[in-house]
Amino acid sequence: MTANLLPLLLMVPALLLLGVVFLWPWAHYSWLSIHASSLLTGLRAIPNGGANWQRLVQDGRFWQDAFQTLRFAGVSVALELGLGLLTALILHRPSKGRGVLRALVLIPWALPGTVMALGWRWILNDPHGPLNALLQALGGGTYPFLASPATTWWFVVLADVWKTTPFVAIILLAGLQSIPRDLEEALRLEGAGVWSIFRRLQLPLLTPYLGLALLFRLAQAFGVFDLIQILTGGGPAGSTESLASYAYLQAIRFLDFGYSATLMLATFLILLTLSLLWLGGMRWSGVRR
Amino acid sequence: MRGLLLDHVTRQVDGRPLLDQLQLQVAPGECLALLGPSGCGKTTTLRVVAGLDPLSAGRIVLDGQDISQLDPGQRRVGMVFQSYALYPHMTVAENLTLGPRIRGMPSGEREERLAQILGLLQLEDLRLRRPAQLSGGQRQRVALGRALLRQPRLMLLDEPMSNLDAQLREELRPELRRLLVSGGHPVLYVTHDQQEAVGLADRIAVLDQGRLQQVGEPRELHHNPTNRFVAGFIGRPAINLFPPQGGRQLAVRPEHLHPVEQDGIPTTLMRAEWSGSQQVLWLESPAGLLRMLWPASQPPPTQCLVGWNPEDGLAFEERTGERLQRCEPSWSRDLIRFLEE
Amino acid sequence: MMRLLLLCWSLFPLLWQLRTSFLVGDALVGEGGGSPWTLQNYRLVLEGDPSLGRVLLNSAILGLVTTALTLMLAVPCAYGLHQLKGRWQPAISMGLVGAALFPTVLFFLSLLQLARWFGLANHLLALTLPYAGLSLPLAILLLRAAIHDLPPDLEDAARLDGLNPLQRLRWIVTPLLAPAMASTGLLVFLASWNEYPIALTWLSRSDRLTLPAAMGRIASSSVYAIPYGPYAAATVLGSLPLLLVVLIFQRWIISGLTQGAVKG
Repeated sequence: MTANLLPLLLMVPALLLLGVVFLWPWAHYSWLSIHASSLLTGLRAIPNGGANWQRLVQDGRFWQDAFQTLRFAGVSVALELGLGLLTALILHRPSKGRGVLRALVLIPWALPGTVMALGWRWILNDPHGPLNALLQALGGGTYPFLASPATTWWFVVLADVWKTTPFVAIILLAGLQSIPRDLEEALRLEGAGVWSIFRRLQLPLLTPYLGLALLFRLAQAFGVFDLIQILTGGGPAGSTESLASYAYLQAIRFLDFGYSATLMLATFLILLTLSLLWLGGMRWSGVRR
Repeated sequence: MRGLLLDHVTRQVDGRPLLDQLQLQVAPGECLALLGPSGCGKTTTLRVVAGLDPLSAGRIVLDGQDISQLDPGQRRVGMVFQSYALYPHMTVAENLTLGPRIRGMPSGEREERLAQILGLLQLEDLRLRRPAQLSGGQRQRVALGRALLRQPRLMLLDEPMSNLDAQLREELRPELRRLLVSGGHPVLYVTHDQQEAVGLADRIAVLDQGRLQQVGEPRELHHNPTNRFVAGFIGRPAINLFPPQGGRQLAVRPEHLHPVEQDGIPTTLMRAEWSGSQQVLWLESPAGLLRMLWPASQPPPTQCLVGWNPEDGLAFEERTGERLQRCEPSWSRDLIRFLEE
Repeated sequence: MMRLLLLCWSLFPLLWQLRTSFLVGDALVGEGGGSPWTLQNYRLVLEGDPSLGRVLLNSAILGLVTTALTLMLAVPCAYGLHQLKGRWQPAISMGLVGAALFPTVLFFLSLLQLARWFGLANHLLALTLPYAGLSLPLAILLLRAAIHDLPPDLEDAARLDGLNPLQRLRWIVTPLLAPAMASTGLLVFLASWNEYPIALTWLSRSDRLTLPAAMGRIASSSVYAIPYGPYAAATVLGSLPLLLVVLIFQRWIISGLTQGAVKG
């Protein structure tokens, strides 16, 4: 224990801040979630038992948002993994100017989500955005990309995929580059083509990287906020609202802190469940291997 | 008492002994080589003596003072690491003087010592270079200089030659030996290369699996090994170990084998390895592959009977590997007769 | 061919913004005659309230201070974590991994509460606290991985030189961590530059806004209004510093990301 004293002392400042930022909110939310704290109570916290949770269970908007958030996360992460893998394979091939290409491809990830969401809002604008201009030039009518409850979420996915695929690609590229060249060359000497190299060598060895990218992106996509806030504001008709934007709305627009905290706890619980499923999945694939 | 004493030094990690009751003594001005296969505990010994790893039992006594519990920085030992461990972000001069600076040595004294060491090791022109700009031999000298600048009471060296190419290694040996011994303090030198150990050290301690097998002058280890491990480990080409018979095992060094007219082991030449002054013959025999030395100038026989003078045979107990005090001439004769059939 | 396609896909929205930023409003909606090109949009956002210049300056200051603070906390912590023995180390590491993965937007309400209690709202530099806190898990993990990769002999040599752990941290470990600190710092800077929900809730005075908060304010004005020219000018100006950062430091950024992947 004395040997650990100094290391622990060195860690104290960082751990304190971490505690405030990462742990205290859960205590705070748990406390808030069993209190009424809103405009109606004059923003004072009054214990209300499980009323917030009861409301949550009966709140159709919560369930709809949970579904929409899961749908968004599932679809966009699946697309990102696919496209990210493709991008990584393209970037992995030796060529002139690979470094520059890699940097350019990374740009969408590095830019602020808010900035690019604004850009996409213009691109998807009805009727003046370039996409609609293209549709019209092709002889069709305009399409309300951001105003159709049935399809708008696809375009949110599009913007997210555009922004985060580079991140996935760079992670997978790291994975590809960690595979010793010898292995690839040995396989090629046995007459394997590009496809069987991918299938028999690269894909299996990429599994941990895919798993990592999957977990990280899933967690982040599950908290999607910036993009939705700016691109659609959750609309049209709440069809793109996520759990995070709903919780934000409850707190900032409706000033219902008790319920907002309850929503965020519920979101956390869903996320926790997903992560545990992921862990189980990784373990299972580990066992299989 | 001056010098270094390791008294029942033991180090265990998770109940597994890395060093087991090590007993060693090194006199001032003496260089003792720790020799053994990888994982035998030689580097651990060095680290325990330096204070980098704790010891589980026993004592380390330096010039009569028990230093077992002192911090590495207080022990005044100089150590040269296998990797040299030069601070890559510092110049040669900064590498050498970091320790004294931290300990608050006055800068005048520091500079004086630095100049002295740089001169001793002929590093003056390199004082502002960084390690990455140095050759392997230069790095070794800087590492040595850093250890010497501490005015150590004890020098520890962990395979300081292993990062150099073979030729340089041989060239540097006499000079290194001179530098190490000139300080008049005990020197512990870890290596897995017995040629190096023989060339540098006054005495050699052979370690295996954390235990001291034998310690003595090189000649003594070669001629008079205490057990089968030492016999097999010391001497190149390696000793010929014959199949055990009646609870004991005979071994004969390659230089002691010679062709005989009769009463010998029938062999066929597999390969002759030329090595300058001599050749090593690899002979297939009923006892497996045998090694025999042969003059370089003479063509080796393709087939011959091989024997040895019975007094050159070494006998070991089959189970424990302990050396048997006597090697009866009749054992050699029995073995040869058995192998003839 | 594939590469070209990839580039188009990555850069098209940006280039389109660039084009838009130089067009007069009428040209955007397909009307009007005369030259459609103008610098008017840039003048508007630079002279507007808040001026975009001010906003960018805010973001830059915040980013730099956050990065410095994060590294100051993370380096000793990573070193401590590296030295820690026994059960604590894997436990803390696991916790950090979990925290690094977590979508931080969910903390905004509690953090806002703290800002209220301590009167931190509208203090630009107060934002460095939550920003540094949110960046710490990744920063600590990256730096610890880098410390782990340092040759262990160096520290042993320093122990023999008589350096205590703090002196080793100061003289040996920190200088050698410079590359890792650079790549970690860049990731922290990017995260701070891009952070939205906390800036949105902590900052309301227009001269204190960061870039994302300013963007959010523009966006919430109206979905159907069409001052898209100025928007585009704002996004271009807001992207330029980052573009430069990414292009110049891409090696460090990628090595940071990669380290994270390999470590995780």
